[in-house]
Amino acid sequence: MYRKQVRRRRAVLVLLVVVSLVLLSTHFSEGSGGPLHGVQRVVATVLGPLEEGADRALKPVRDMFDWFGETFDARGENEELRDEVADLRERVAKAESAVGENKELRDLVQLGPAGGSQGREAVAARVIGRSPTVWYSTVTIDRGSSSGVDVNDPVITGDGLAGRITDTTSGTAEVTLITDHRSAVSAEVLPNGPSGVIKPEVGDPGELLLDFIEEDTEVDEGQMVVTSGWRAGHLTSLFPAGLEIGKVTEATVDEQETYQRVHVRPFVDLREMEIVQVLTEPGGADGQSRAATGDTG
Amino acid sequence: MILTPQIYVRIGLLLLAGVIFQVSFLSDLSFLGATPYILPVLVVCLGLLGGAVTGAVCGFAAGLLLDSALLQTLGVSSLVLLAAGYLAGRYRENFELSSPLIPPTLAAGLTLFASFVFGAIQLMLGIDAPVSLLILREIVLQTLLSFVLAVPLYPLVRWLLRPALIEDTERRRPRLPSAIGAR
Repeated sequence: MYRKQVRRRRAVLVLLVVVSLVLLSTHFSEGSGGPLHGVQRVVATVLGPLEEGADRALKPVRDMFDWFGETFDARGENEELRDEVADLRERVAKAESAVGENKELRDLVQLGPAGGSQGREAVAARVIGRSPTVWYSTVTIDRGSSSGVDVNDPVITGDGLAGRITDTTSGTAEVTLITDHRSAVSAEVLPNGPSGVIKPEVGDPGELLLDFIEEDTEVDEGQMVVTSGWRAGHLTSLFPAGLEIGKVTEATVDEQETYQRVHVRPFVDLREMEIVQVLTEPGGADGQSRAATGDTG
Repeated sequence: MILTPQIYVRIGLLLLAGVIFQVSFLSDLSFLGATPYILPVLVVCLGLLGGAVTGAVCGFAAGLLLDSALLQTLGVSSLVLLAAGYLAGRYRENFELSSPLIPPTLAAGLTLFASFVFGAIQLMLGIDAPVSLLILREIVLQTLLSFVLAVPLYPLVRWLLRPALIEDTERRRPRLPSAIGAR
């Protein structure tokens, strides 16, 4: 009887481990249109309304926890923000002058206006779910393909770039944040600074790294980093140009490295964001080819 | 544990509630930069109450639900949580729970184990970005939070599954007189 129990226990364990490994390898290697992904989307569609309901119902409790945390942080942040406001006022004055000059020059060469969203439509969405581990930096939002949201659509908040859509169901979508290890965004330092690729540092959501900046290029603390929005023939970047990403906090040079380590603090508080905007293509993404390399996220 | 269809339903609903609670509420909270992770604690509680097979099956199911809800790679969380549930069940089958501190300590220990296994699997699948040492801080803090979460959760899960628990059934059975003629 005891031996039978031991055999049964081992058989169940081996079966579950094998099934897990098969699921893992199949899901990892199949494309996003594979059968496992399809089943997963069905389950996510069913769970979506439950997540949304729980998110709304528990919001007052969450806000209470956030209030305690924010009260402790407020004092230190206040001083920092005063300095930042003074710096920003100066920049706004310079930028307004540059906008006027830009318009004049465009009129001169008869160029049309350049919008930061490049004609995209913004769909507002609410964050209803979040990954519990630092290895996945993703959130679930309550808008999906039925609202015009499509894979690779950029996601922004009022503060700047948050991430991009990596999977959708009819009513929800997964957003891979710029702090996820799968994310890489083409970026440039303003004004007239170098271009590089923004990558995260896994485990530190308050820090990004701007890579491929040569060591002899000058990058100063406080400079703004935005998406570069490149174009090469038929291919365009996943992200429109000019979306704010963050601010340079430090640029260090390692003797053995070819490139500097430029540290960037993201503008968006990715842990606290509740409302986002998805920049959707007007009429969907059909017929528009997008780059698969260079901008993987 | 006496497994009846009603108990299966209760366990299923418990796992579903755990996943929804984690994804929609706990993942939004931050304590010193760490997120509370209730699923390993829940699975350990079920393993301690139901044994190794129950713990493994519940861990597998919880992981599958979590990965589906978040559209993550299927199988990763299942593998990690089934291991935690199985080990908790094996502990229960070999040792007595002689102290009320044992469930929280086991929950914390197996959460630590699950975090490292999860990290190892992610590294094997491929990480395209540098990894910060702050991950270790997150793992340690999550372990401590699991200890705290297990203190109320284990009695709650035990209460929810009390009709299935053999020790509780014996405790509730009326005692018969031990000597002939006694009243």
